[in-house]
Amino acid sequence: MAAVEIRNVAKSFGPTDIIRNVTVEVPDGAFVVLVGPSGCGKSTLLRMIAGLEDIDKGEISIGGRVINDVEPKHRDIAMVFQNYALYPHMTIAENMGFSLRLARQSKKEIEERVQEAARILGLSEYLHRYPKQLSGGQRQRVAMGRAIVRQPQVFLFDEPLSNLDAKLRVQMRGELKDMHARFKTTTIYVTHDQIEAMTMADLIVVMRDGVVEQIGTPLDLYDYPANMFVGSFIGSPAMNFLKGAVRQVNGQQVFETGSGFRLPLHAAAAAPDGLMATLGIRPEHLSLSRAGEGLAGRIVTIEPTGSETFVVLQLGEDRISALLRQRLTASVGDELWLAPQLDTTHLFDSATTKRLTGS
Amino acid sequence: MLRRKRWLFAILAILPTLALFAWLRMFPIYETLRLSLHKWDILSRNKPFIGLANFQELMGDRLFHEALLNTTIIAFGVLLITIPTAMVLAALIHYRTRSRVSGFYETAVFLPHVVSLVPAAMAWKWIFDARLGPLNAVLTFLGFEPQAWLFDPTLSVISVIVLCSWQALGYAVLIYLVGFKSLPASLFEAAKLDGASGPQSFWFLSIPMLKPITLYVSVVTLVSGFNVYAQAFVLASDAQGAPGRQVRVLVLDMLENSFRNYRVGYAASEAVVLLVIVLVLTLIQFSLLRERGRA
Repeated sequence: MAAVEIRNVAKSFGPTDIIRNVTVEVPDGAFVVLVGPSGCGKSTLLRMIAGLEDIDKGEISIGGRVINDVEPKHRDIAMVFQNYALYPHMTIAENMGFSLRLARQSKKEIEERVQEAARILGLSEYLHRYPKQLSGGQRQRVAMGRAIVRQPQVFLFDEPLSNLDAKLRVQMRGELKDMHARFKTTTIYVTHDQIEAMTMADLIVVMRDGVVEQIGTPLDLYDYPANMFVGSFIGSPAMNFLKGAVRQVNGQQVFETGSGFRLPLHAAAAAPDGLMATLGIRPEHLSLSRAGEGLAGRIVTIEPTGSETFVVLQLGEDRISALLRQRLTASVGDELWLAPQLDTTHLFDSATTKRLTGS
Repeated sequence: MLRRKRWLFAILAILPTLALFAWLRMFPIYETLRLSLHKWDILSRNKPFIGLANFQELMGDRLFHEALLNTTIIAFGVLLITIPTAMVLAALIHYRTRSRVSGFYETAVFLPHVVSLVPAAMAWKWIFDARLGPLNAVLTFLGFEPQAWLFDPTLSVISVIVLCSWQALGYAVLIYLVGFKSLPASLFEAAKLDGASGPQSFWFLSIPMLKPITLYVSVVTLVSGFNVYAQAFVLASDAQGAPGRQVRVLVLDMLENSFRNYRVGYAASEAVVLLVIVLVLTLIQFSLLRERGRA
């Protein structure tokens, strides 16, 4: 186990900057998820930690040792790839023991460690099979086994669950968490799936265009997104954004939407009167209200799932979605009034897209 | 009705190709097989059936044995040189693709494959020349004894092997390059993280994963090795200067039997032996590929 420190790291491919001055501290034993849309640089950053990409600027250290110029094999890391990267001509046992074989460990030692990893991952009966004789989930487990047998200081995962179906993904998520709880090895995990990030991470690093947008615990990011991007990226269904302005009405600060609705603001919101702002409301924080209270719109779609109902409303030029615990008798085209919980709304500066302090 | 029409159209469409294939490929093979069981002097209309007499005679033909032995040595010699060299060269070119001169290397290696055979063999004849050749000049410069490359029975076979390998290399490298490009990069990255050095990745990953390519290149190289003719004909003359005599190969033996000795049926039986060898090698390749597919 070791802490990983990424300090002012930059990387470009030709004229394109992929990573721009990124600084992240991964505490010893933590499960850190790098999340962001495709092309945000998360995989490149992981590959830089692994030593598969050079570091143009800045430095990365593992366990206090700067590893910029250290060979990948000497970085004491193990990586699990998206496509598993299992050696097709080797059996599962040979795949898992390959690193130990290269490290000239004794046959007995290799066999013991492979057996142990296989037992933990439930692969004991497949050790003599070839990768193509296994299912996607089993192959993923073999890839994890190959990482485990090395007993590295840091595990790196590059979108390891992307090739699995939804059900298996949920199952593997649990297995990965169990594995982390068991070994307590520092883990850096890359995904574009915010649900994976939210359910697995101790700490999430949200990236966009090679820049870190926010670092925090899953609930921190959910409750206090630093900007509109993080607000929209974290949480499913995505956060609603209403454009408008901050006004003073009867001594109280309110948010006036473009379509003329006025919503009282959180007492702590510190925004100057007249500021063009965007109000972020999560769909799950909207609930049915009496006529004249909150926001009204025409129903565009209704999707009842049994336990909850997902509705989309048209509010003038804006569309908002809501996730309601109640069942609705209304139908498409009907008018519906919804009110947000005051303390869960997020006020962003429309110009900078940054969260306004205290909101 | 529509299906029948389509079927008819398909048959009509491939008929010209099939007819050409049958005429140019199948008929000569059939005719060779038929001729091998007959006696024919190329001129007479009379081709009496003699059964397996030609093959029986082949068993005791010293020249045929010599030709078969030389051809086999050359074919396997070329194979032994070409496969490892081509694989290493292709690996070097592939993993240095960022180099500006990689295109030059690819062209340089492939060029011998497209150069006309006889001029290339003439150039090598000069290289191997005992008195004027640069090879002996280099050997002498390094303090070694100059060798009679094209007159010594063993060295002349080696010289033919070198020339054939030089020519076969370009094609083999090209096929291996395609093979290397199709290997997934993530496997090599995984191996790098597992602690494998470049040569270890080559040994533990590239070689086993390129097995189908190696099998294909092996058979192509072996088959062309068994068909060696012009190289030996131009390169190896005997003491009197008769071309091809120093290193007698199967195709040369066939040509001599056909057009010098006017024994076409006998030459055809040699061709049948060559055909059987090539067929067996191809069958081995297919069975090896199938075995791999089952794994």
